[in-house]
Amino acid sequence: MTDPYSVLGISRDASDEEIKKAYRNLSRRYHPDANINNPNKDQAEAKFKEVQQAYQQIMREREYGTSGGYGSYGSGSSGSDGYGSGSYGPGGYGSGGYGGFGGFGDFGDFGSFRGFAGQYRQANSGATESEEDLHMKAAANFINSRHYQEALNLLNGIKDRGAQWYYYSALANSGMGNNVIALQHAKEALRLEPDNFQYQMLVNRFESGGSWYQQQQGPYQTTFTGSSGLCMKLCIANLMCNLCCGGSGLCCGGGGMPGGYI
Amino acid sequence: MFGYIAINKAEMKFKDYDMYHSYYCGLCKRLKECYGIRGQVTLSYDMTFLIVLLTGLYEPETKLEVVNCIAHPLEKHAARTNKFTDYAAAVNLILSYYKCKDDWEDEHKKKSRLGAKLLNSKMKDIQKTYPDKIAVVSKNLKHLSILEQENERNLDLMAGLFGNIMAELFAMRQDEWEPSLRKIGFFLGKFIYLMDAYEDVEKDIRSGNYNPFKEGFQNNEHFAEDCKQLLTLMMAECSREFEKLPILLHADILRNILYSGVWCRYTEVTAKRLDAPVDLPEETEHNQQEPYQTDAGDNTDPDRNHSDTGEQQS
Repeated sequence: MTDPYSVLGISRDASDEEIKKAYRNLSRRYHPDANINNPNKDQAEAKFKEVQQAYQQIMREREYGTSGGYGSYGSGSSGSDGYGSGSYGPGGYGSGGYGGFGGFGDFGDFGSFRGFAGQYRQANSGATESEEDLHMKAAANFINSRHYQEALNLLNGIKDRGAQWYYYSALANSGMGNNVIALQHAKEALRLEPDNFQYQMLVNRFESGGSWYQQQQGPYQTTFTGSSGLCMKLCIANLMCNLCCGGSGLCCGGGGMPGGYI
Repeated sequence: MFGYIAINKAEMKFKDYDMYHSYYCGLCKRLKECYGIRGQVTLSYDMTFLIVLLTGLYEPETKLEVVNCIAHPLEKHAARTNKFTDYAAAVNLILSYYKCKDDWEDEHKKKSRLGAKLLNSKMKDIQKTYPDKIAVVSKNLKHLSILEQENERNLDLMAGLFGNIMAELFAMRQDEWEPSLRKIGFFLGKFIYLMDAYEDVEKDIRSGNYNPFKEGFQNNEHFAEDCKQLLTLMMAECSREFEKLPILLHADILRNILYSGVWCRYTEVTAKRLDAPVDLPEETEHNQQEPYQTDAGDNTDPDRNHSDTGEQQS
């Protein structure tokens, strides 16, 4: 497979901003609309697709730490998986500080989960398997194949809920976009088995989404330091504005936009 | 609509503000041209975000005009419009229509029923153009309303239904960016649902309407902080997906909204609660609270405000 970075003509340590710029330039150049009269338009279109794929591959790799990843929440993924690379352009967004979390590559596309399902099978191979064991196993398979709803249906029918049940439930819920329950269940799994590395990783992964976000918020201080100084002031400004306009309420309806509209 | 997905003006450069405002004026202009005054009064920040997002992503041809502002007859404003403006105008109407209908069914606000009726004829046109979108919106809202009657407490489930709606509305095209736009819409929708519940919790306790935060508000001393964590989870998912899109144009505006603007109302509501804690459901407190509440309702929410004025006009 060709190196996606070389397709975009950038180095591996390019910032996200540089990647986006490179993608924009190339996709503009090879876009079918820009090559209607080009005798080599088939080649241009092939190149256009290659550029698109390269861009998406890089973004996936940067999110998951390894290539492969999986689709978006609709087809099932959680999204907040791993935070391979951090820096978000020159605007001072983040400062690349998340590089340290690159290790989440392990978790990547649940690759290690596959192995985990294997362990589960082994651990139970000696004893006779109960129906619930079989359901747990099937749920693991559903999670691997990203059939999260089916996994949840099975899990919900299981009465005996140990750490592993919560771990599976966290993964399946995360895949469904149920990020609140996913975090709760991941924490519950960890509470039941505090030494389990995988549970720890999952909790970290879910929680790192929030801390990454707070880091991104860094440049914008005002709405969080102290009270809501600005917003309140704007409200008052709007109130006064409304009064001026005879209280019709038609203008200056809202906070943050005293310029008025309609 | 809701108006939560707004900018934080204090943290925005002047040129970015002017740019944002011109899309806002553009949306207002197209709402009026496509759906008349009744459409125009549904104007919202949330859909301005959608326009700027899609414009940043697809970089379409955009028309710049100078328009007279109805609210400010003496002022002239720059208005930017492109094909996404028209789409957002339709979406804006869909959401306003269902919000009016919902308010009527929920609380029997006469104004809301009137609002829904007034939008009815416009909705028929939109139904023809976007039958799939309307079907998804309607189905999920129906589901929401059933679960509200059952007093469902699962936040992921409830917020997720509204997330489904926004996901559908953000997915304007079927292309390589559709999954990302859906995901952004989904988590933004969950954020809006939870933020709306957070803001309305006192009102809903008083009126007896459904609100998933009722117990938390009354019993959890860390209520505000816990809600902030929930909301942060949603915005983290949403913003991560945004950062994956190759958006350079208007990226500063969009980041201002995603990382700061969406928190304006949370900060405002929380500060107000700290200043004037409410002891529910005592009647005296209730009366004291009333003017405060009314102020907020009339001045902090442009969208609701507009729907109200819509009826006055007609």
